[in-house]
Amino acid sequence: MPTSSSSSSSFSSAASSSGNRQADVFSRLASSDPEVKLKALREVKNQIIGNRTKKLSFLKLGAVPAIASALSDSECNSILVQSAAALGSFACGFEAGVQAVLDAGVFPLLLRLLTSSDEKVVDAGARSLRMIFQSNQAPKYDFLQEKNMKFLFSLLNSENENVSGLGASIIAHACGTTVQQQVLCDAGVLEKLVILLDGSLSQREACLESLATVLKNNPEAVSRFVGLEAGRYLSSVTELTKDRYPRTRLLSCLCLVVIYNTSPSYFLNMGTKSSLVTTLLELLNDHGQSGDDAALGLSSLIAEKEDLQKLAYEANAIKNIVDILKTGSELHPKRLQGLFLSLAELCSKLEDCRCSFLSLEMLDLLVNALRHKNADVRTAACICFRNAARSVKVAVLGALSNIVLDFSSPKSTFIEYGGIKQLIELSKSMDPNARCSALRALRNLMFLADNKRKELFYSEVKAQGFVSLISDPEPTVQEQALALLRNLVDGCINSIEFVFDEDGLILDTVGKQLRKSPQAHMAIQGMYVLTNVASGTELHKEAVMQQLFPQPQAESNNFMLKFLQSHESQLRSATVWTIINLISPSSPGAHDRHVKLRDEGIIPQLKNMVNDACLDVKIRIRTVLSQSMSFGDN
Amino acid sequence: RSDDDDDDDRGKKMPVRVVESNAAPQVSGNDPGNRSPLPPSSLLAAGQAFSGTQNVSNQQKEEAWRVNVQIQGVDLEHGYLCGTMEALNVPMADTPVITFWEGEIVDGKNYTFYTGKWEATREDDMRHWSKFPSFAPLQGQVESDGGRQLDLSNYPYIFMRWKEQYFVNVGTDCGLTIAGFYYVCFSCSDGSISGFYYDPNSSPFQKLELKTVNEGKSGFSFSSYELQ
Repeated sequence: MPTSSSSSSSFSSAASSSGNRQADVFSRLASSDPEVKLKALREVKNQIIGNRTKKLSFLKLGAVPAIASALSDSECNSILVQSAAALGSFACGFEAGVQAVLDAGVFPLLLRLLTSSDEKVVDAGARSLRMIFQSNQAPKYDFLQEKNMKFLFSLLNSENENVSGLGASIIAHACGTTVQQQVLCDAGVLEKLVILLDGSLSQREACLESLATVLKNNPEAVSRFVGLEAGRYLSSVTELTKDRYPRTRLLSCLCLVVIYNTSPSYFLNMGTKSSLVTTLLELLNDHGQSGDDAALGLSSLIAEKEDLQKLAYEANAIKNIVDILKTGSELHPKRLQGLFLSLAELCSKLEDCRCSFLSLEMLDLLVNALRHKNADVRTAACICFRNAARSVKVAVLGALSNIVLDFSSPKSTFIEYGGIKQLIELSKSMDPNARCSALRALRNLMFLADNKRKELFYSEVKAQGFVSLISDPEPTVQEQALALLRNLVDGCINSIEFVFDEDGLILDTVGKQLRKSPQAHMAIQGMYVLTNVASGTELHKEAVMQQLFPQPQAESNNFMLKFLQSHESQLRSATVWTIINLISPSSPGAHDRHVKLRDEGIIPQLKNMVNDACLDVKIRIRTVLSQSMSFGDN
Repeated sequence: RSDDDDDDDRGKKMPVRVVESNAAPQVSGNDPGNRSPLPPSSLLAAGQAFSGTQNVSNQQKEEAWRVNVQIQGVDLEHGYLCGTMEALNVPMADTPVITFWEGEIVDGKNYTFYTGKWEATREDDMRHWSKFPSFAPLQGQVESDGGRQLDLSNYPYIFMRWKEQYFVNVGTDCGLTIAGFYYVCFSCSDGSISGFYYDPNSSPFQKLELKTVNEGKSGFSFSSYELQ
């Protein structure tokens, strides 16, 4: 059995001062008179049930060790029941309580209760243990040890529904590694669990939760489950999505989501998919934990699945979710995260979704979410914004009827709300995913942006800020930063000047990064920055040549040759575009630059690539070579 | 050609496959179910701008007005693209007229050379496509089996249909019509575009001719956005 450290019981001396009702209860807890003790236990239990504040204050006074003593020292069944119940209450939905309970060595004491001859005692012990196992702090159960497995099955086999439910809870809150899942399936846990489906409400719910853990990402386990009695239990779970209890509906939906994500072939029926989506959407309206879990469940279900996103969209998902977000009440971070992720998924592929979403005046909500204290919420909001921001129709429809947002107009609400500032803040986050998402959103915002927006953005970042972004330790963040820069310098010729600010600091940094043998995706963006700069004036083109061929340099440092030989066609393409711009015939220095490119081996390399496998690359190379010939290349 | 070419084998890492640009490219096998979308073409991408003219002839006279086109989005997977079209010096309007259009890319996967809607018959389709010189090598096959065996992914021209969906800055009473659509041919190598407007109720073969625009710069520049 996994054990936690035991500690002797003692409570703070402050607790013994008289006149303080709370403190008074402590002395009664320690009383040798069982009647007094029992009354005190009941009092504490009644005060803390459902009351987080009371739990916290009793906790601080050392109630848990005191009650743990009562549990360990007593032989009286009523005292065992009440102390177990009180401890269970402390642990219920209250992480600090779980911590305190485990620290006080309560775990083995509760386990002992399971073997009692008194049904009430067994029950109390099982219930309290179930509370502990709802938390991530619960001791990790070692399924791989045979005696543990035996014990687990003895729980599952019990007639007492709290005990069998405990067995299921232990499974539900396990890590769910493939090895664990395998061991459990081989020992026949699926066959045991499905029996609970036909049991009481509590057993059913415990069963559904544990099934999700055992089946998650394990096609073999799923296949085994579906095979049980020729699919009878899959049908049962599907039926349960229409159960009258919301939590049951939710847990069965989550179970089906797990099965669908693991082995989608069991869901060929569009009707099942559709009803799964609509059930989860309905559950979003539940105010409690079920609603929180439903939001995350929905985002997991529709992730990367265009057909399900369409179903959700047609079932009015966007409006429903936005309405919930707009209710103004404080939503649980998990729910916010799930709702924003769901919106993000909906907007990821479907243009209609993006239009609908953007027409609902969500931006102030999004901006607030970007400032939320919870990192997961901020990241989810960012992804959501990023996906919605590139609605192609909306950019044009801004001038029409009731669409408020127009990204190309200086009157954009988002800018007014300081959204850009928020995104820049997020781009400095500790979390690389948040940085990446923020930069992606900014990149999309700068796409075809007018000068006013570009100036606004640049004034908040400046050259040094850009240097930090481009030099970020994470390659994915660097890539987004360069893509953002690329968009910034595209457009009118004046935009190119950004990279020359502070003595060309940004351009130098780009060159430096490219010389460091970057990954292809980063290099692509970097080369497009150079391409865009090279589309400018003589000075701009010469500056790019400086970056490509800094003096002095060894032949082996020529990253252009490396890029031209990359397996990534986009990188080859981007590099050739830089060359096309450098030798563009309309500028006076083109001929000299051509000579340099030829002498550095670039033009000869292109001659070897006339039949490049990628049509686009091949076409660009032919453009360079025909230009080359017109310079009289011999 | 240089004498060095034959001796220079530096960097010969690319698979060498010679493609004759004048022959009709073929797909191997005859399986329409597994066609892929067209590969990306740098100049047919979101953010690219084009400028030129549309000639508008009717009984009385020939006139042309200047047109600017900007691509707003390209989704090759679904054979979809969209953008805006701005018509300048239009006599009936006192301002430039901007429309939003959506395009279908003929890729043999999402769309074929046959329109199948907008009152365009197969004959109309062939009549228009055959006005593009770059369609000539494909014509025979398209006439015989709709072009199912054509491998368009290696062809340096992209064929599309563009349909204007709404006016962006004027009302529908501006005196202009967007009832028809354009048959369009895009040249991958220089980004030039030609098109013919088809509308059973308008003069036929009104021609659109566009070239890439670089905003007064000396070269090409590219923006990008990402949704995933």
